[in-house]
Amino acid sequence: MLEQSRLRDYEARCTQESAPRCRLSCPLDMDVRGFLAAMAASRPAEARKLIERHLPLPGVLCAVCDHPCEDSCLRRDLGGALSISELERVCLASVSPQTRILPRPAKKQRFAVLGAGLAGLTAAFDLGRKGFPVTVFDTDRSSALLSSFPCLPADAVGREWQDMEKNRVSFQNSDEAVFYSEDAARAFLATLEQDFDAVFADLSRLPLSLEAEALDPLTLHWQGKVCAGGHLDTTPTGALYASASRQAGEGRRAGITLQRIMGGVSLDAERDDDRQSRLHVDLKNVPSVPRVLPAAEAWTPEEAAAEASRCLQCSCMQCVKECVYLQKYKEFPRLYARRLFSNATVVKGTRTTANVVMNGCAMCGQCEVICPEHFSMADLCLEVRRDAVSRDVMPDSAHAFALEDMEQACGPDSAFLLEDSSLPDGTHAPRLFFPGCQLAGSRPRQVLAMYEWLKSALPGGLSLYSTCCGIPAHWAGREAVFEEHSAELCRQWEACGRPEIIVACSSCKSTLRLALPTARIVSLWEMLDELMPEVPSFEAMPSRFTVQDPCGARHDSAWQKAVRSLASKAGAELVEPVRTREATACCGYGGLVWNAQPELADDMTGKRAQDFDGPVLTSCIMCRDRFAATLENEGESWHLFDILPQTAGLAPEKGDPGLSSRRAGRAALRREALGAEGEVGEAGGTFSLRISDDVLASLERQFILRQDALEAVQGIEATGMKFRDRETGHFLGSWRPRRVTFWVEYRADEDGGFTLLRAWCHRMVVPGAIQPSTEIVMEKRIRA
Amino acid sequence: MALDPEFKPDHGDWLCAVCNVPLEQLKVQVFYMNSAFDVVLPRCPQCGMTLIPESLANGKMAEVEALLEDK
Repeated sequence: MLEQSRLRDYEARCTQESAPRCRLSCPLDMDVRGFLAAMAASRPAEARKLIERHLPLPGVLCAVCDHPCEDSCLRRDLGGALSISELERVCLASVSPQTRILPRPAKKQRFAVLGAGLAGLTAAFDLGRKGFPVTVFDTDRSSALLSSFPCLPADAVGREWQDMEKNRVSFQNSDEAVFYSEDAARAFLATLEQDFDAVFADLSRLPLSLEAEALDPLTLHWQGKVCAGGHLDTTPTGALYASASRQAGEGRRAGITLQRIMGGVSLDAERDDDRQSRLHVDLKNVPSVPRVLPAAEAWTPEEAAAEASRCLQCSCMQCVKECVYLQKYKEFPRLYARRLFSNATVVKGTRTTANVVMNGCAMCGQCEVICPEHFSMADLCLEVRRDAVSRDVMPDSAHAFALEDMEQACGPDSAFLLEDSSLPDGTHAPRLFFPGCQLAGSRPRQVLAMYEWLKSALPGGLSLYSTCCGIPAHWAGREAVFEEHSAELCRQWEACGRPEIIVACSSCKSTLRLALPTARIVSLWEMLDELMPEVPSFEAMPSRFTVQDPCGARHDSAWQKAVRSLASKAGAELVEPVRTREATACCGYGGLVWNAQPELADDMTGKRAQDFDGPVLTSCIMCRDRFAATLENEGESWHLFDILPQTAGLAPEKGDPGLSSRRAGRAALRREALGAEGEVGEAGGTFSLRISDDVLASLERQFILRQDALEAVQGIEATGMKFRDRETGHFLGSWRPRRVTFWVEYRADEDGGFTLLRAWCHRMVVPGAIQPSTEIVMEKRIRA
Repeated sequence: MALDPEFKPDHGDWLCAVCNVPLEQLKVQVFYMNSAFDVVLPRCPQCGMTLIPESLANGKMAEVEALLEDK
């Protein structure tokens, strides 16, 4: 079961939801980014609503604000900070108030504010809006503000008072002595403390000499039921001035404390003084744009919109920009984490798209490298997949084909361990070549040729072990399957004398490290680079390649270096794509997304292929085959085997060999390597089923193998349970060898063979379409 | 969530090759992940052998499978 604390760990690593610097530098938490977006879109009414929602006394504050937001603006060094304060004034001047004052029912608790400075009036404004009657005491309603801010238009204060009175904020004259005698002020505060539920003292108005430490900086609580704030600042030369934003901010903070004093609850619980923005904003490639200044004294709406549209609309999204999977659901890792965790804890009901989100990740690790906080979608999705498997809610269809493929690659048709026959009985070679199941499937002849060459070049002999490393089970979250397979690998490795392992696939390398933690594992490319001081050039090779690092080798600089070194020695000029080495992008094979969501995997391949300038050279056969299927000229996708002298001439002609051929390739490697010993049964016998390339391609898109179709036609012909088309004489039948039903439409040829015309499949159980079984089994979710 | 009630073959005039009779549109109950649905499908009226057209398998059936898997 996933722990909520894990969710917090994940969430903390994604800063996309953190407020931008402008907002956090505003003591009133103004949504500056939203305001500027509305202004840029020429929607000043919407912009004004945001001002009215966030700022107290908007008419006053916008006129006098010292706008710390502008100091923190990231445009500062890219053309100049946005004219935020100016745009707020333009906005207020261009549209009438957007919020109707609807007084709340009066509450019985009452508050007093002593001093009608900006802090005092902000506290009164906020409390009044919440329905608390507030009484403001001063000698005059507006002179306090006007003396602090002489530029303030006189009527601005009056208009704010009209609004505040609707919210039950009243004014009461008090004795002038309170504002010049400390004793009188203290005495008056003591009376107010008795008459009201809580009191705010505006220090810009009162002659109180407070010890600095007397005031709690977070809550502004002073003593008893009294909060204080809003003092004037002193410049380095000793002049007094008022920071409007700080004073208003303190008034707001004190207003919250007053309510807590009244309610008798903790004053500082759940309050945070941290106003540092954690949001990462990538400023690379952001062009400088100069400030827009009004041509005349007043701003035109167009000028205001142009200035507002200089706002960078700060956000992170660095990983999302690079990944089609992250883009697909229009969210970012923090929200994905939340969505996946909440889906995992839902007991019943639709897990809205949880499966597609968790199974759409290629687990390639690119986001972790790009993210300044190293958020890993791979870790997140793996954890959630394992959880889904353990709770038995992982859909069978997501990874069934890949797991069957793994089973085949590890099974008797394909897997084998060949010890070096030139060694005396009872001795083992010091090294073992582990080509990996996909390379063995796509390039059996090259694998064998490389094995023979390595055997001759390395002293002491060499074993060959062809099987799957187990990464499909790992990616699928099937820990039990992975562990069982690891144990088998370990048994075989120990049986052949714990040799050093030479791998040709970066996924195998990382997986074998998990399965055989004590084994020494080295890449084939490093080995070859060491063994071959010179590499003869392959004549048919392009002179220039873009080099694609497989995602499994993103943190393996020795791997990357050896690949480049070998290609350079062979005479190739190498070009680095954008996002290379540790930031390389996945070809779409990773994480089994090719099985769970083939269209998304194709989008990944297509996106990455756009980064290539001319032919691409990879050291991973799945990268090679996927790009071969995507690139317009399939001949432009090259594997390192295709340029190395041991293997270059043996490359197959076709682009992507496909699923059926890869299975056949693995079996062929076994037969070739073991000779007569490698024969297993009469695979297919003499039964002939013709399948055109087009039909085979359509089959493979549906994860139907040539072998599946062959067995289906064979099985149907054996039982005779089929349909016949009266018009064409075609046959149609179904075959359900496992949890999937295959349908094959075919015709009988004159020579006794058959031709497959089309095939399709489904997982539902349909009575009357279940052969070779004879009874219907209600299918349940499969167990791991 | 339900399958549309009736599906016919995409093409062809199919006979049951075992019973040598034309297929009829008959009600069948199909199952997946602890759910069952009534669907009218081309079926042999004698032996009950049932035909699932390609358009149904790759269309509505695939959709419902995905929905049930997400439940």
